[in-house]
Amino acid sequence: MIFQIENVLIFGTVQGSVLALLALGFSLVFGVGGVLNLGHGAFYLITCYVFYLIWRVLFFDLIISIILSLIIAIIVGGVVYLALIKPLQDSHIGIVIVTFAFAVFMQEFVKVIAGIKPHYISPFIFGSVEFLGVTFPIQFVFVIIGSLILVFLVGLFISKTKIGKSIRAVSQDREAALLMGINADRILMITVMISAFLAGMAAILYAPTSAITIDMGWSFLLSAFAVSVFGGMGSTSGCVLGAFIMGYAKTFCSVFISPTLATVFPLLVIVVMLLVRPQGLLGKKEV
Amino acid sequence: MGVILEVKNLTKKFGGLTAVNDFSFEIKRGEFVGLIGPNGAGKTTVFNLISGFEKPNSGSIRFDGMDITGLKPYQIVNLGLVRTFQLVRSFHYMSVLDNVSVACLSPRGKKASEKVGLDKYASRILSEVGLIDKARFPPVILPHGDLRRLEIGKAAGTNPQILLLDEPFSGLSYEEQEHIHALIRRLSNEGVTIFITGHVLRELMNLVPRVIAMHQGKFITDGSPQEVANHKLVLEAYLGRGGGIA
Amino acid sequence: MPKKIRSKVSNTVSGTKNFFLGIPRATRNLYKEIPHQVKSFKEWIFTFRGSLTILCLIGTILVPLITMDDYIMTILISFLVFSIFAASWDLLAGYTGQVSFGHSVFFGIGAYVAAAFVKMAGLPWFFSMIIGAVAAILVGLIIGIPCLRLKGPYLALGTQAFSLILFNLFMSGELKDILGSTEGISALPAMSEAHIVTFFFILIIMVISFIILTIIVKSNIGTIFKAIRDDETAADASGINTTKYKLIAFMISGFFAGIAGGLFALNSRAVNPSVFLALYSFYAIVMVALGGIATISGSVVGAFIYWVILTELFKPMGALGTIFLYFPTLISALILIIMIRFADQGILKPALEHIREFYDFLLGR
Repeated sequence: MIFQIENVLIFGTVQGSVLALLALGFSLVFGVGGVLNLGHGAFYLITCYVFYLIWRVLFFDLIISIILSLIIAIIVGGVVYLALIKPLQDSHIGIVIVTFAFAVFMQEFVKVIAGIKPHYISPFIFGSVEFLGVTFPIQFVFVIIGSLILVFLVGLFISKTKIGKSIRAVSQDREAALLMGINADRILMITVMISAFLAGMAAILYAPTSAITIDMGWSFLLSAFAVSVFGGMGSTSGCVLGAFIMGYAKTFCSVFISPTLATVFPLLVIVVMLLVRPQGLLGKKEV
Repeated sequence: MGVILEVKNLTKKFGGLTAVNDFSFEIKRGEFVGLIGPNGAGKTTVFNLISGFEKPNSGSIRFDGMDITGLKPYQIVNLGLVRTFQLVRSFHYMSVLDNVSVACLSPRGKKASEKVGLDKYASRILSEVGLIDKARFPPVILPHGDLRRLEIGKAAGTNPQILLLDEPFSGLSYEEQEHIHALIRRLSNEGVTIFITGHVLRELMNLVPRVIAMHQGKFITDGSPQEVANHKLVLEAYLGRGGGIA
Repeated sequence: MPKKIRSKVSNTVSGTKNFFLGIPRATRNLYKEIPHQVKSFKEWIFTFRGSLTILCLIGTILVPLITMDDYIMTILISFLVFSIFAASWDLLAGYTGQVSFGHSVFFGIGAYVAAAFVKMAGLPWFFSMIIGAVAAILVGLIIGIPCLRLKGPYLALGTQAFSLILFNLFMSGELKDILGSTEGISALPAMSEAHIVTFFFILIIMVISFIILTIIVKSNIGTIFKAIRDDETAADASGINTTKYKLIAFMISGFFAGIAGGLFALNSRAVNPSVFLALYSFYAIVMVALGGIATISGSVVGAFIYWVILTELFKPMGALGTIFLYFPTLISALILIIMIRFADQGILKPALEHIREFYDFLLGR
């Protein structure tokens, strides 16, 4: 029993770390542009496959593969912004539909290139660690540490740098920010690229721990949405807090109740949160 | 002539700001009353509270002897209390006739239109507000004055007992204002109780026999236009403290 | 908070009760309108649109009759089934403004329930299909009630969450005994011995569905739907109980999507959890966008383009490699992006304009 709780602690931290990366970008984009980007899961999906292609098929060096994959993720983010989000900024429904179409497109595109069979990216370093009596792959250490560093850096970036301050300004009051001479379009573009980068990082860190399949984008998208709704749309601290709570709760469910419940857990959270407290745990914005 | 609308100690706070503060008044059936106050006095908030679009922090609203505080907007409309918006809200992709038909499809409107038939009833309202020639047009192509008339037509379609008109004259030309004046007078003569806001005193003075004045969310005075216009606090509200009579 | 929820629940319950009590009266009103509808139908046949529709219908009837080709019928059947599905989405999204990305839920529930009743209870297919559609209505209620508070993009993601929940439940190994897991339900009896009979059953159901949907959007309730789509607050201020009508839209839409799902399962004689995938919701959206949003008839055009033209275009290339079989979806995703970006009218309306000119020319007008 005790042993299982330690399991929950470690696997929950891993889940929480991944969710934090995914949800942070999704939530930032919403905060800055009021945009729900349904292509967010597709960022994760394509980085996985690009990483797989560069590292496992073309046999590039690990570090180079990681950098190349991230650059591609960021470029895709920029393209999504320029081609899909920017022209439709007045119509939120329009954005939702085109980003949805983008996600379907990417899924089918990957299907055409890589086929429907699952692929396996091997961990950076094989082997396992024992901590608190639980044995787990070293990759998990990368996930946790990488995610914590990134979350910290993003927090620093937002609070200290000029662009970060602009991001906060636009998400608090777009009109006022415009009047202050901030180019809100450019800020939103940077935010979308950051979100693609974070999703890409999540993919690179976490995807090696299990198989990659063409339809995994959707569940990651909805998990990111669930965490954002849970923590409060557009609230960064709420997002990270929500991600870890969700990670532990999900793992708890999976260990003690049922794996199926664990998979639908984030979705149930969406439904319940939207019903009971639409502004989320720490959010102020009404849905 | 019973009281149709009775507002008691109405208070609404937005964060630290008290938009409406302990506001009370009564309107009798068939009356024609104006609500004046400078910009930001809380007139629209009072309307939002009465029509159910916002919930008051305290106080009560009784309509026709029934407590309607906290009811949903459509429930209040279906009791016969209808409001129009200062920023006109029309159904953009539907014809002008259909815009009015929607109102005629609400429970009260349906009851009223049952005998003549929906289309005929809606067309009759359109000819009353003077838009019958434009019945097939979408509202997006109408000029501002026509949209205001459509707004009143939509409200009339629900067969109201009392009509709350929020700044029906703002942004209109003199000629368009005259049209709306005539329209409102006619509705009043038909027995509809009318409660109307305006921030320009002069516009309302010639129209209504009774005015309620408010400033910074508070009730100031209630009386005939002349009395209100000469009231010390009203003048202060409009001209600033210590200002003379213009 | 509990009190708030309690009042919400009691409101919803009483609203639902009132709705069901209102059904007989609504049916009576609909019945009263029938003579009027028949008269306008007679006039309609001789209009441009009417004659075009009748022409297309005759074509759809004649082609399988003449060729008696099983393959052609198979293509046409998926076209018919998915046009119902697309039209049901159009009613909800195009007419009522409730953009749902979880429409596959209704489709899937309709499919599963119909399949289960045919297989386990041995019921005739028609009744199973209706039961499936009614189940989809109930699901529409269950999803509709929490989602009604949501607007725009939130509704889209919220409904999609439901479709993923159901997908995971039906995929789940733990619930295999009840829901069949990955295998779903298979080996259903055929709808009829001859393929052509099945085809005509489906055609008749499709035509009836479209007539009903067209009547609904042209009726008073359709006017109210459009008002909610255009400005919900203004509809509220006009005394319309928007919650009630949105729920009605969810239920009607769910019913027809359920019919489509039931037909899909009964015709393919099997169903598996993939019917709940986002892909199926995407089919509905892309077909409606192709044909034109808020035109029930546009759904037919969209479904035709997707299931007959696009799919068949790439099928021959399937021999070169299976990857070509994924092309229709890939390309339609691109088309959808382009449509939303540049041509939100769809292609039905502009195309009709051109054909109408030609028609007028033929008649010497």
